[in-house]
Amino acid sequence: MSVLVLVEHTEGIIKKKNFEAVQYASQIAKQTGTTATAVVLGSASAAEMESLGEYGAEKVLHIADPRLDELHARAYAKALIAAAEKEGSTVIITLNDINGRAVAPRVAVKLKAGLVAGALSYPDTAEGFLIKKTVFSGKAFAFVNVLSDVKVITLMPNSFQINKGEGKATVEKLDVNFDEKDFGIKVKQVNKVTGEVSLADAELVVSGGRGMKGPENWGLIEDLAKELGAATACSRPVADSHWRPHHEHVGQTGGTIRPNLYIAAGISGAIQHLAGVNGSKIIVVINKDPEAPFFKAANYGVIGDAMEVLPKLTAAVKKYKASHK
Amino acid sequence: MNATESVKAIKGGEFLIRETAAESIFIPEEWNEEQLMIAETCTNFLAQHITPNLNRIDEQEEGLMAHLMEEAGNLGLLGISVPEEYGGFGKDFKTSMLVTEKLGAGHSFSVAFSAHTGIGTLPILYYGNDAQKQKYIPKLASGEWKGAYCLTEPGAGSDANSGKARARLSEDGKHYLINGQKMWITNAGFADVFTVFAKIDNDENLSAFIVEKDLEGLSLNTEEHKMGIKGSSTRQVFFNDCKVPVENLLSERQNGFKIAVNILNLGRIKLGGGTIGASKDVISLAIKYANEREQFGRPISKYGAIRYKLAQQAIRTYASEAAIYRASQNMEEATDMLVESGMDEIKAKLKGTEQYAIEAAIIKVHASETLDYVVDEGVQIYGGMGFSAEAPMDRAYRDSRINRIFEGTNEINRMLTVDMMLKRAMKGELDLMGPAQKVAGELMSIPDFGGAEEDGLFSKEKKYIAGFKKAILMVAGAAVQKLMTQLGKEQEVLMNLADMLIELYVSESLQLRVEKLVGIKGEDACKEQLDIMRVYVYEAAERILKSGKEALNSFAEGDELRMMLMGLRRFTKTEDFNTTQARRNVAAKLIAENKYCF
Amino acid sequence: MKILVCISQVPDTSTKIILKDNNTAISSDGVTYIINPYDEWYALIRALELKETGVASDVHLITVGKADVEPIIRKGLALGGDEAIRIDAAANDPYETASYIAEYAKSVGYDLILCGKESIDYNNGVTGVMIAELLDADYIGFAASIQIEGNTAIVNREIEGGEETDTCSLPVVIACQKGVAEARIPNMRGIMAARTRPLKVVTPTAVAPVAAILSYEMPPAKAGIKLVDPDNMDELVELLHSEAKVI
Repeated sequence: MSVLVLVEHTEGIIKKKNFEAVQYASQIAKQTGTTATAVVLGSASAAEMESLGEYGAEKVLHIADPRLDELHARAYAKALIAAAEKEGSTVIITLNDINGRAVAPRVAVKLKAGLVAGALSYPDTAEGFLIKKTVFSGKAFAFVNVLSDVKVITLMPNSFQINKGEGKATVEKLDVNFDEKDFGIKVKQVNKVTGEVSLADAELVVSGGRGMKGPENWGLIEDLAKELGAATACSRPVADSHWRPHHEHVGQTGGTIRPNLYIAAGISGAIQHLAGVNGSKIIVVINKDPEAPFFKAANYGVIGDAMEVLPKLTAAVKKYKASHK
Repeated sequence: MNATESVKAIKGGEFLIRETAAESIFIPEEWNEEQLMIAETCTNFLAQHITPNLNRIDEQEEGLMAHLMEEAGNLGLLGISVPEEYGGFGKDFKTSMLVTEKLGAGHSFSVAFSAHTGIGTLPILYYGNDAQKQKYIPKLASGEWKGAYCLTEPGAGSDANSGKARARLSEDGKHYLINGQKMWITNAGFADVFTVFAKIDNDENLSAFIVEKDLEGLSLNTEEHKMGIKGSSTRQVFFNDCKVPVENLLSERQNGFKIAVNILNLGRIKLGGGTIGASKDVISLAIKYANEREQFGRPISKYGAIRYKLAQQAIRTYASEAAIYRASQNMEEATDMLVESGMDEIKAKLKGTEQYAIEAAIIKVHASETLDYVVDEGVQIYGGMGFSAEAPMDRAYRDSRINRIFEGTNEINRMLTVDMMLKRAMKGELDLMGPAQKVAGELMSIPDFGGAEEDGLFSKEKKYIAGFKKAILMVAGAAVQKLMTQLGKEQEVLMNLADMLIELYVSESLQLRVEKLVGIKGEDACKEQLDIMRVYVYEAAERILKSGKEALNSFAEGDELRMMLMGLRRFTKTEDFNTTQARRNVAAKLIAENKYCF
Repeated sequence: MKILVCISQVPDTSTKIILKDNNTAISSDGVTYIINPYDEWYALIRALELKETGVASDVHLITVGKADVEPIIRKGLALGGDEAIRIDAAANDPYETASYIAEYAKSVGYDLILCGKESIDYNNGVTGVMIAELLDADYIGFAASIQIEGNTAIVNREIEGGEETDTCSLPVVIACQKGVAEARIPNMRGIMAARTRPLKVVTPTAVAPVAAILSYEMPPAKAGIKLVDPDNMDELVELLHSEAKVI
């Protein structure tokens, strides 16, 4: 009956957002009077898996097949379903990230389960099984009621504060028989961007818009991002003018991000852009036009030319870091 | 004015003496799915290719405008109404109007587009022989070649037939040698094909020639420095023994003036379409700005002074648009009827358009003056930013101004409106005398205050509009009677009469549009449109009264003047009406939608 | 090779969301509807490119909706689709949508099914995967480029912190995002041809929904902005540290 949660790892290391998912699962387990079981796939160390107990997992089911070190969504789904059968789970959770979004829908279809993609809340079980999620790219929220017995949830990362506790999960092996077709997708080449913070996971983001005048001024954005340890992003016109690569475009038709801090320099704040970033906890807007609509959505505002303000802000961060060492 | 007759579309100019049934007109709310898709393509084209490049266009970056024209050509936008056999899409006139309207928000690009597809292409399409059409039209329709039109000369603007350009046959009889100087030639800098007007030898009338840019003896001056539409190429074109093959004579010798005039009829209504497209765009910008700009802690769109402006901008634009598409439909139907009666399609098109030349002139004036009003208030709504060259109102304001000048100045078009009306009456094509006498008779009789007052949704406005017609018939009738042949010289009176006719035509078109719309969507869905109509017609009554008074005071006197002024007041009388509330309703809708939405 | 492109009707990106009926529905007053941009700009255009380069023989469009979605279908045809299918149902749950599309796709047999990475209205991004699961096919999400060589799809896709190149045998379902293709504007020829291209209306075998949206909520208004002097960035850093607690 336990609540099942898929925990991903990168070369054996479990990233923070997975702790959030485990904690989320354990909260739901508490709510429904059961326990949380994490499912770990591929080559992971016992210590790393046991540490999931610190976030509320009682048990880890480890399916150690090394082929699972890479995403094979069909195999992942099969593993989760096998784990769910073993545990008798009716609630299955993944993150709403690239991998989770490839796996959870398969699990949902197989188990004829309702799916909430991008959950922002714990389920309200007073009358049904109601979970809040973002719709219209952040312009509104919806409350989705899952009607089926089995429920599949993908959790939007960065929705809850993570509280590390005490505890050690017990690790149990599980064997699953995979078919050849579960590994139908072959990875030919991987290009990891090193040294930069990935936008989707970033807690801090510095973003530039048309007010930056041209790609030659992006050093100012990068300098601040580097000083903060932040990822860089841009608005649609910037990506469309090829000043910056498309994967940096955030907004309704680009990426949707939910960092703790979003600093927007020279972005006026069109409704489409706001839709992609208004899940950010804190928004700082730097714009020389006091009428820029973005100021209405911001926590902090600086009215001034981004090109002049950014170096000053970078210097101030540097100074702050030096004094807080 | 017989109601049963009115079901059939009225002839050109007849709006003064007959009623039109609402169901017989076309309203823009009736665009079909395909037309809306074409409109969307135009809007996307502007958003993708034009709006982001407006500065580069205005700097006349080398090759840019020609490239953009080719992009438009790739989408098929240069061949909308060109027959399919010549590489076009054979769409009806209204659809080509819709394209002109949607691209009308493209500033200098709109000018290049309109010149190319209008005066650059149509003379050859309408008057060319088959060989000429085969040679030029497919390339013009695809955008491979760009077209221009050389009529105006330094000494011949509004009086186009007085040009000095001359053509003479070469000794071997194979060429015409053209000599002369043409100015204000739109698209000259990148055009491949020029339609050039010149008199052969000492002819009384102009002839037209197709001149390719590489012909010997054709040269261009540098770009003119202009107040607005800076991205539009405008140059002088010089012809110095320019050798044009004889087969490039367009139509017949001395037929050029007719060509010029007929093409202008189309150009005028098209200009109306383009300016209305620009108006809608500017209004949307103004609304967005007013919603964003805060003063005293509130968006300025919350203030009555700004709401008034937004409402007025929309009211005038909506009214003008009603007239434009009503007349477009009339032209199209007249053309279809002529084709049915056996006339050649292109002749029918010219004839059909010419029948509504009065309406085209009216629309040219009203729509261009609407845009000027809209951009002026647009600047005002933007306040200080309106005066900044970094905000869009600067360009909108400067670019608007030319519309009152080209395609015949608004003064020429006002005079034409009255002149054509009277000429048609004299030729017996339009029975103004009968109705005018009836009105004169009504003046002498005791006003009919009784009678069953209808209280339909439109009965008030219909009554007002019927009164406007009487007012005009009375003033015009008296002017003709008093001034006789002198009337043509009394330009102030002609302006007054034209203004009255313009207000009548637009008011009636607007009333019919809203009536038809209510018929389709129901009254509840058209509250703002009803308010638009009520405000416009109410205000039109005041303007007609003022113009009428000015005219009458200039030529009548004594008891006759007093009697006519009394009649005029009676014919333009409206019931008291809270225009402020109606405008607030209109503005509230605009502000909620955050864009022009009617 | 036959390609099926899944398109969905969504409110235009500039739409302001207004709730109605006691927050149980989204107002459609004054809303302009468009093809979901990921479906149109990337999935559909890439499918058309594959046809133009001779890789694909047919490009079919499919959507689930009632008759009022037909304008967006015809826009898809105007862009160049050969045939369109409208599954005549008002599905709200992605499982329903996926079931209907999979049912039809099975009946025809497509080599490649393309969709957008998600729809900009409900932001689920799961329909494509569900279709793949229902068809027992592979799925590649977040694609940034798609090549087809013989019976193999070669796809660059986003992964965490980078990109990878995957290969996979057809049939496969691929969800597209930026990079796969460039948006196009329908031209006159396409618009006129759209009328003559077939639009099939198919009644699906009804599927019971497994989830349903009960109500909506608007995001809370920001508490008001604190303005910082551009010459006092130390203050901003201090606020971000001590007040906002984000650095």
